[in-house]
Amino acid sequence: MEFLSLLDFTFFLLAAFGALVGIIFGAIPGMTATMAVAVCLPLTYALGLHHGLALLLGLYVGGISGGMVPAVLLNIPGTPSSITTTFDGYPMAQKGQGEKALRVSVIASVVGGLISAAVLFLFAPMLADFSIKFSYVEKFLIILLALSVIASLSSSMLVGIFSGVIGIWLSLIGDYSISDGGNGKTRLMFDFMEPYLFEGFSLLPVLIGIFGISTILLEAEKGVKSELSNERIQFGKGGGFSLSLFKGRLTNLVRSSFIGTFVGMLPGVGGSAASVLAYTQEKNLSKDSSQMGKGAPQGLIASESANNALTGGALIPLLSLGIPGDSTTAVLIGAFTLQGIQVGPLFIPENAETWYIMMTALVFANIVMFFLMFYAIKHIAKVVMVPKHILYPIIVMMCVVGAYAINYGIMFDVWTLLIFGILGYLVQKIGLEVAPLIIGFILGSQAEVYFVKSLESFGTFSIFFTKSPIAVVLWLLILASVAFSIVMSLKSRAKRRQELLS
Amino acid sequence: MTVSKKTLAGLGSAVALASMTLGAGVAMAQEGELRGNVRVVIGSTSTGGDTYQNSTIVVDKLAEHLDLNMKVDAVGASSAFRTLDRDSRGNTLMIFHDQSYLGYLYGVEGYENIFEKYTVGPTVAINPGNAYLVPKDSPYETLDDIIAAVGDGEEVRVAIQPGGVSEIGFSALKNAISIEHPGMEDNLVAVNTGSQADKNQQLFDDQADLINGTVQANEQYTRLPEDDQKAMRFVWLTARQGTIEQAPEDGLGQTTREQLLEYVEPNVHVTMGDDETFTFDKEFFFLYNKDMDPGIVEQIDEALTEIYAEGEIQEVQKNSFFIPNFKPSEEASEYLHEKMSRYEGIIENIK
Repeated sequence: MEFLSLLDFTFFLLAAFGALVGIIFGAIPGMTATMAVAVCLPLTYALGLHHGLALLLGLYVGGISGGMVPAVLLNIPGTPSSITTTFDGYPMAQKGQGEKALRVSVIASVVGGLISAAVLFLFAPMLADFSIKFSYVEKFLIILLALSVIASLSSSMLVGIFSGVIGIWLSLIGDYSISDGGNGKTRLMFDFMEPYLFEGFSLLPVLIGIFGISTILLEAEKGVKSELSNERIQFGKGGGFSLSLFKGRLTNLVRSSFIGTFVGMLPGVGGSAASVLAYTQEKNLSKDSSQMGKGAPQGLIASESANNALTGGALIPLLSLGIPGDSTTAVLIGAFTLQGIQVGPLFIPENAETWYIMMTALVFANIVMFFLMFYAIKHIAKVVMVPKHILYPIIVMMCVVGAYAINYGIMFDVWTLLIFGILGYLVQKIGLEVAPLIIGFILGSQAEVYFVKSLESFGTFSIFFTKSPIAVVLWLLILASVAFSIVMSLKSRAKRRQELLS
Repeated sequence: MTVSKKTLAGLGSAVALASMTLGAGVAMAQEGELRGNVRVVIGSTSTGGDTYQNSTIVVDKLAEHLDLNMKVDAVGASSAFRTLDRDSRGNTLMIFHDQSYLGYLYGVEGYENIFEKYTVGPTVAINPGNAYLVPKDSPYETLDDIIAAVGDGEEVRVAIQPGGVSEIGFSALKNAISIEHPGMEDNLVAVNTGSQADKNQQLFDDQADLINGTVQANEQYTRLPEDDQKAMRFVWLTARQGTIEQAPEDGLGQTTREQLLEYVEPNVHVTMGDDETFTFDKEFFFLYNKDMDPGIVEQIDEALTEIYAEGEIQEVQKNSFFIPNFKPSEEASEYLHEKMSRYEGIIENIK
């Protein structure tokens, strides 16, 4: 217990401050947890490793959680992993239940964060050994499973699949690197686009464009009256929130937290897949998922518990293999490198003090995040009270600044934001769906890389079915997910027909 | 009193002109020197990697010495080159390593001849950690075993990231096999992957027999028990013996300098023909926009000369397992150009 002597007031202050700044970063559209950690990384030089880690872990937890705020209130995912939060959060906010949605999300977040911290603490080395059983084949199947949600996310299965395929196609634009099994040439573009699109479209500008800007365009089309953004909003006394909302949802909460932790620990699968997968599983497994996507708290629980569980999950391969589990931990590893500390399979046994310090910071940051957000929500939720003609220009400005900053000042990212804003608007106008499109965009390129690499490594299609028992289990889950989508689609078609007849 | 639009426009123009003249005056007074905020872009997107780490050490010292605001941005190779192309004022500098010309030699898209397109600045350090590893229970004890096995017609798969630093050792090995066992070199097969995690995974999955790695990233794996699926063993460090000899005696982690020396020349011999042994030191250096004021090149050279003369930076670099290697711009450019020609020969040979 020698590490206790290292825990001073500054340590806790930095973790709390990190959580607060992280929440602000996460809540501003276009700013992410990764950015917050990257900006503060050089500070670890001055602060020393332990204090530096307290700050960075605070930023990480806060940044991931803060993403829920614009997702719920403005339909803009603050971070890529809060896309699924918009599915139910924004409809709830439109019904005047923004505060309730945020409270549900905060509780789900803290539970997800703490469960993953516990898993990290108790099982990290063991799970790291398990995670290396996931080769290209299994990673491809995980992504395929997440992609299978496309079919069930939209009102019409075919429209969903079509939108998803467009998303995948958009994700393939750019350089097809030799490392990814390609030929090192650019594709799906004209030569003159090469200087701009060499690395393809950047994820975050696409995300905030297609969600945020298009929502604003759709609203602007209705005409900007000087009314409040939401006149029916419920404030005070929790905005209609009570803990009974979690009744019967414990399975969802725990399952989603484990899914988040699990996906987090697979390097290269990425954060967004975690919440998408948790959302899919809730949709497939819950008794009644008919309200999901229309403003059901269960969707928020799945999404937010999973994306916060990522934090602990992504630290598993980082601290047990020296391999970052997601983009933020990829920056976080810099804190160790800058201090000359090796992170690898022997990190935990050789740096027990740092390990305990990190765990303390992680748990503390989650608790601080909870209190900061839970009690600040009633004020935060008032954002929607700001008149639209003031609110929307501010959001657009923040989106532009965020898009410009995300890759350290690339102007084309701002154009990407606008292009996808307009595309998102048009897509909805012609009846396609944004959610499957964006999921296709996020997961498409990874799916391709792992698919091609599997074939390159094993040389046969049959490997996808025979690689390992894990692959077989994943196939069963994919089949179940697809079958569920088909059944749901048939049911809703029959229901529509019945309604028409009557 | 009413002010006409014309008067206002005239007044506005006069103010604008005056401020421009004043601005130009200030800029001219400082010409030939770094000024304002200086952004140092690096050719890697990782803040956990050696390029970021080394650049931060150098840039921090430089900023302190010149009393300037300087910041390292991990933007990645193609973005860094493009950013550098756009700024000839000296507010954007770049730090990268041998990848910058190896990418060109391997014909990777986005890479051009740095000696023609940019001004090559001073070298600052070497990362001596470029390594090749096998699973701990591999039948190949040494690199010689691998060369012999390939010569005997056995297929050996090597996980590398194509098109640069990770591939050059593989190319040299292939070249050595073509010299020692002509016609057998195709038995050495490259398994193209991306990150270090991917390369490690290839070894865990038994999809590669040999992987490219680094002392920094893989040293802990070499200390795992043999029955661990993740356990590895070094068989080759591409650095020169003289480079490793400059490393701290304690080496890295629990692998001492003495142990590391077992894996470099002359203990490990990869021939380039004519009794020459292949070695590769991964060196970090500055790159500047070709049109940048030569005064700035000189200013940075001078500042770094003074910083290295103080001796403190060397300690910081060595503590982070870098070997200090400062060479002023002109010397560095010549030296790196010669280095590129050497590797060009190897890459040509195995085409």
